[in-house]
Amino acid sequence: MTAIRTTATRQRSYRSREVLLRVLAFVVLAVAAVAIVAPFLWVFRGAISPTDAELYRLPPGLPTNPTFGNFGKVFQQVPFAQFALNSIIVATSITLLQLVTSSTAGYAFARLNFRGKGLAFTIVIGGLMVPLQVTIVPLFLIMTNLGLTNTLWALILPPMFSAFGIFLMRQHFLSLPKELEEAARIDGAGHLRMFFQVMLPLSGPALATLAILTFTYWWNDLFVPLVMISSVNQETLPVGLVLLAGRYSTGSLGTIAAGITMAIIPVLIVFVIAQRWIVQSIASSGLKI
Amino acid sequence: MSLPSARGIGGGVLRGVTPGSERTATKKRRGDGLAAAGFLAPSGVGFLLFVLIPTIGVVLLSFFDWNLLSPPTFAGGDNYLQLFKDHHLLAVFGSTTYMAVAILAINIVVGLLLAVLLEVRMPRWIRAFFRLSFLFPFVVSSSAVALIWRFLLDKDFGLVNYWLGFLGIPHINWLGSTAWAPVAIIIVNSWKTIGFSILVYIAGLQGIPNEIREAAIVDGANAWTRFWRITFPLLSPTVFFLLVINTINAFQVFAEPRVLTQGGPGDSSRTIVEYIYDTAFQGFDIGYASTVGLTLVALLVVLTLIQFRLSRRWTFYE
Amino acid sequence: MKHSTKRIAAIAIAAALAVAGLSACSTSGSSGGSKTIDVAYWNYGPGAVTNNTNLQKSFEKAHPGEKVVLTPIAGGGWGEYVANLATLIASGKHPDIAFMASEGVKFLDQNNLLFPINSLLKTDPEAKKIQADMAPGLLKSFSAGKDIASLPFGFNDFVIYYNTDIFKAAGIPAPTGDWTWPQFEAVAKQLTTSTRYGYAWTGTEIAPGVLPWIANQGGNLVSSDVCKPTANSAPVVATYTFLNDLIKQGISPAPPASNDLISQFENGKIAMFGAGRYVLPSMLGAGFTSFDITRYPTGSTYQTTLGAGGYPILKSSKNTDLAWEFQKYAASAAVQDAEIGTKTAPYDSVPSLRSTMVKTVAAGIPPANSKLYYDAVDNYKTLAPFPAPAKYTQFESAVISDSQLIFGGNDTVQQGLDQLQKDLEPIVTCN
Repeated sequence: MTAIRTTATRQRSYRSREVLLRVLAFVVLAVAAVAIVAPFLWVFRGAISPTDAELYRLPPGLPTNPTFGNFGKVFQQVPFAQFALNSIIVATSITLLQLVTSSTAGYAFARLNFRGKGLAFTIVIGGLMVPLQVTIVPLFLIMTNLGLTNTLWALILPPMFSAFGIFLMRQHFLSLPKELEEAARIDGAGHLRMFFQVMLPLSGPALATLAILTFTYWWNDLFVPLVMISSVNQETLPVGLVLLAGRYSTGSLGTIAAGITMAIIPVLIVFVIAQRWIVQSIASSGLKI
Repeated sequence: MSLPSARGIGGGVLRGVTPGSERTATKKRRGDGLAAAGFLAPSGVGFLLFVLIPTIGVVLLSFFDWNLLSPPTFAGGDNYLQLFKDHHLLAVFGSTTYMAVAILAINIVVGLLLAVLLEVRMPRWIRAFFRLSFLFPFVVSSSAVALIWRFLLDKDFGLVNYWLGFLGIPHINWLGSTAWAPVAIIIVNSWKTIGFSILVYIAGLQGIPNEIREAAIVDGANAWTRFWRITFPLLSPTVFFLLVINTINAFQVFAEPRVLTQGGPGDSSRTIVEYIYDTAFQGFDIGYASTVGLTLVALLVVLTLIQFRLSRRWTFYE
Repeated sequence: MKHSTKRIAAIAIAAALAVAGLSACSTSGSSGGSKTIDVAYWNYGPGAVTNNTNLQKSFEKAHPGEKVVLTPIAGGGWGEYVANLATLIASGKHPDIAFMASEGVKFLDQNNLLFPINSLLKTDPEAKKIQADMAPGLLKSFSAGKDIASLPFGFNDFVIYYNTDIFKAAGIPAPTGDWTWPQFEAVAKQLTTSTRYGYAWTGTEIAPGVLPWIANQGGNLVSSDVCKPTANSAPVVATYTFLNDLIKQGISPAPPASNDLISQFENGKIAMFGAGRYVLPSMLGAGFTSFDITRYPTGSTYQTTLGAGGYPILKSSKNTDLAWEFQKYAASAAVQDAEIGTKTAPYDSVPSLRSTMVKTVAAGIPPANSKLYYDAVDNYKTLAPFPAPAKYTQFESAVISDSQLIFGGNDTVQQGLDQLQKDLEPIVTCN
């Protein structure tokens, strides 16, 4: 009897502690979420404020006469649609390119046996430690010699090799069961068929993870276009936003906020729709070393 | 989800050999050379053109004096001597390291805390809302992030100081004082990057089998003990992954100081990458910029090697 | 192993060639035929596109058979523009003409890119006519040593903008421009309230930032040959002490490294600030007109600080005759008169021709005291040289970073300026 009662009280106190813990967790999460989201609300509010006076009003509230006029002004100030198009082209191309280069190399490192593999892989990981920012001048010269500076190619090609991507895909291919390969081999599958018909169909989550990470990274990059591109019509959104906020361009914070909003919203929508799937794909691709 | 040969990289990098498990997997066929060449070709071309040749180029350039516009002249080791004379360099390395360590710590510790808290039982849509909120900043370009925060952190008209005012904190000169400017960069960059760390942690936590944790609950272990005895060891490969990736990223911060503080006051919020850019494209001193770049590579190599070396002591692979 | 050694050697050689290739490629041709010139300009916004496209069209119309190719160059700030221009040239493109402001003249000159127009000015009758209609200080600010870079088509001189409503409400008479530093300080103090600063200056640029004040102490940030920094000279110390005092008294904010001053001015958060005429399109475009301009207060002396803009001819141009025609054309009365603009969308600089400015004032474009934009250059001494060493951007960012040390209260004035002097020594040289 006593033994049973003790367990019961222990469980009760355990349960009340658990409730307390849950409330505490909830509070911490809510505070963090508000702190992280608040700046966006501020920007969205600025984007629909008719005058800058709204932005100086404290405490901040909803704008009294919301307007969409600021969005139109963005297009008068800078070729925003062109920036967006360039960004889409660049980020999509890099993503596709990296999917190809990383999956093939990742497959070779995970599933093929060849001389110098260990050395080659060490070199790949070494590539992780040479940031693009360090090699930007020679990259610029190479692009110049290829006649590609000031074109979108100069933004698309340099990231085509991705140490991170290869590493990610290698981890993924290593995790696939050996039996699969052996069965296919008995069927007489060559390397190409093995790769395209056996391995790739099982690689959806890993490829998706790589695609998402690559796309967001290059969608947001400010550095490479800053160096490679000198003409406005070839610039991407991140540079475009800085141009929009430049000294001569505008004095209106509302216009800048509208520009930022337009750069954010499309990516956000994609994330809202895809978020559960993103977590799943990252979970199943096992981001570990 | 843990991988049988996940240990491979750590071992492979340090010893320069492939782990045994893989070798056995393909032992029977040793003639994959041609196929391997084919599969490696796309990455190989990219590596050659955009990593190897540029890296050699940087090394070569570090021995030259060149301003982009006139022909380069050979400078011998002058650029390397300059490293020791340049009083900015030490300051820039100092502030970069300070900011990187703080960003790293926030990502690893606070990220883990938030991810673990997300595990607490709650309605699904609320969890989805939290998760999404944390991820928001990650998808926004650094330049947009920096532009937003430039207004929020304004000393007089910014919202941050306004809200802090309610706590009785006097207006902080976020962007104009040596003490606060790096803090501002740390906050803004962490705000942007923490979503990714949380995401990876969530994924890692999902990989821990429920039975193990439930077994511990039945054993009567409290939450704290459960976390350190069960969850953390199983999560350690994820922590290590984030440590390596975030270290490399934290040393490459560029857009935030550029848009928020221009590296100032003094060098207090200047990062190495920004210094490289300024030296190369504002001072037009390509040779010296290359030399500084090489010091960053050296630093990253050393840090990564140390991390791999130490990781053997605390990471746990199933 | 031998194979890989060979391969590495081959790659190294290839890389060396790539590096060497840059000097070879710089000889590759410009825009070709003798009837075409390539004009690079800074695309800082829609105003720049409109102005340059109009210029291109009207030049082609006035010179049948000749063609102008425009190369718009991006840049969120002046430094990025110059960096982009340099990378463009390094990538083997050679515009015949590149838009340049006073800040970049030394850059062109020291890199041997500038085609000086001294001899052309002496012989060309059209150029003489243009010069006669131009304030003399303009050409002086657009020269490197004796080399004159270009006929300017416009300029910005720095004046104090003040909010007329705030002055009225505070019962302070509108300033006449004949004021001293203590008088200015007293006025600014009166205008300061708990939600408003009396005066603010930008922390992102040295002009209008600290430079007009230094000029009015008879000083400069560099020696007269622009070969040595003079950042801790007495006039600079006096200036920073005064400005720092404004911050300490709460009259001015420590200048942040951002440029929202226009917005703050429009919304009554600051009563006065310093700027050029370039702020007009944004203020008038937003319907804000309750402001006027006046001169910076007189310190131990008074000099107007200005920066001019023009289309210098580059040395590599194969068609200097046509390029010279273009430069003259851009500065001509016909073009400048056509660009005056309207009361809500005025031209974004001061026209370089006196006669055009007279017409601008007659057109009733605010502010009321618009005449001052030109008079401040025509009737007063101007600061020369403009403190712009070849590495102007690096120079400016060093000044900004170290000024923040002082204005943010991290360093004393003397410490900060000694530091600045030390930082500027390798940047401001003539070797």
